[in-house]
Amino acid sequence: MSVLVLDHVSKAFDGIQAVKDVSLTFEHNAVTALIGPNGAGKTTLFNLICGFVHPDEGAIYYRGKNITGLPPWRVTRMGIGRLFQDVHLFDRLTVRENILTAFQNQTGENPLKAVLLRRRMLREERSHNRRALELLDFVGLADKADDLAENLSYGQQKLLAVARVLAVDADTLLLDEPTAGVSPALIPDLLDLIRKLATSGKAIALIEHNMNAVTNSADRAYYIADGEVVSHGSPNEVLGNPTVRMHYIGI
Amino acid sequence: MNYLFQVLTIISIYSILALSLNLLIGYTGLLSLSHAAFYGIGAYIGTLSGIVFGLSFFPCLLLAIAGTVAISFVVSLPSLRLKGDYFVLASLSFQTIVFVVLYNWIAVTRGPFGLTNIARPTLFGFSLSSDFAYFVFSGIIALACLGLLYLIGHSPFGRLLKAVREDEIAVSALGKDITRLKVTAFAIAAGFAAVAGLLFAGHVRYLDPTSFTLLESVFVVSIIIIGGAGNVSGPLIGTVLLVTLPEVLRFVGIPYTIAPNLRQIIYGLLIILVLRFKPQGISGEYGFE
Repeated sequence: MSVLVLDHVSKAFDGIQAVKDVSLTFEHNAVTALIGPNGAGKTTLFNLICGFVHPDEGAIYYRGKNITGLPPWRVTRMGIGRLFQDVHLFDRLTVRENILTAFQNQTGENPLKAVLLRRRMLREERSHNRRALELLDFVGLADKADDLAENLSYGQQKLLAVARVLAVDADTLLLDEPTAGVSPALIPDLLDLIRKLATSGKAIALIEHNMNAVTNSADRAYYIADGEVVSHGSPNEVLGNPTVRMHYIGI
Repeated sequence: MNYLFQVLTIISIYSILALSLNLLIGYTGLLSLSHAAFYGIGAYIGTLSGIVFGLSFFPCLLLAIAGTVAISFVVSLPSLRLKGDYFVLASLSFQTIVFVVLYNWIAVTRGPFGLTNIARPTLFGFSLSSDFAYFVFSGIIALACLGLLYLIGHSPFGRLLKAVREDEIAVSALGKDITRLKVTAFAIAAGFAAVAGLLFAGHVRYLDPTSFTLLESVFVVSIIIIGGAGNVSGPLIGTVLLVTLPEVLRFVGIPYTIAPNLRQIIYGLLIILVLRFKPQGISGEYGFE
């Protein structure tokens, strides 16, 4: 059964129809790519899933539960993690602190517990710190752990954002252009990681303009233009579709 | 000597105010101009509990904290929906409303006549009526408050408040309820302001609304801007500096008629210089932009 379902979802902003009657499904163990020109409504679809905007019509289901209209933090707690295209890091926190904010259900997030259950909090902090360093090591930023996030290069910031969304430990990941701005040498590792996450059982939604990345790492693809689903299937089927070829690739 | 203890008592009181407001300004990035309102509400609730119910200091303190925190929810739930400058304006209007209520609700607060002859607390049969004893008492309470605020700030909660200051969207995408975080920070800051208020009432032994004006809120904000925000040392340095400055003016022999104006000019000048040349204050970790 599909883990995440968009059922005839529509959304207009100031009379402009950004998303028109879109139905999508995302599966466990699979990378589902959303492709299409800029302004097609792909990021709006992510915003609709995450609860940053709410649909005018239609419904969104996660694990069979209707999540339409839930606030973003509740959507994340249900198990949907989001990587933003424009990183959204905490600039004046350290790289390590950026990761530490992402762990769920921390005892010390409650100020009363932070005072009364100090020992438990500190024990948790030590294990979270270890986990944070593992994640940073994994994206090659361990030596920057105590630098401010604003002092990283854009590519490094993107990798930090990837590590941060992994720290959320969500079952479903919405990745908005994870490879954009990352140094070309690191892209294969990043795509490899995305594949591994899918193989480990997660459902991955991927917005991507790099067609090689899509054909190499995605299992399924939707082509979206002007807020509508034009074509869907395997990446090769979608990229082979004549309308898609003409409008998107230009051949 | 009594004079020295009085100044040290005032420093204790303002260090509580500055460090609690720091949780909002320095950590959460909420420029609140209503801290003196909560300071005043705490002072009045605590003092009136003593006068009306004849309670001793600590029950009065608990009532003052509980009442002030409850009022903070009434204000924070609607006003924290507002962003940036609009939140500043909402906090400013709350500050004004509280002053007007304290001034005009004569049946309860005695308005401009004030509450007089406030008794200093007695602890275990030991009266705190001397300035030295009261300084030791407020110093201990201030240290306890500073300790608590340090533990609250140095925790995942404090880290999340700083994250809210940096990027609210990202915080909510990480599964954290930003409204709850902000409302909680607001309530904690209000609760500590109430403690400072009750200590102030016992110190001057007289309460009237003019101690809790917008100017007082701005004064606490200035402490944070000049001293620095986001850590413990900044607001503490700011407190010592800004509280002792008028006393220094007194010693260099500036006449009483000029001193208050000169003080305002120096505060204003300090804020401009700090914002221009050292936006993170003397010892803060987070710069105002």
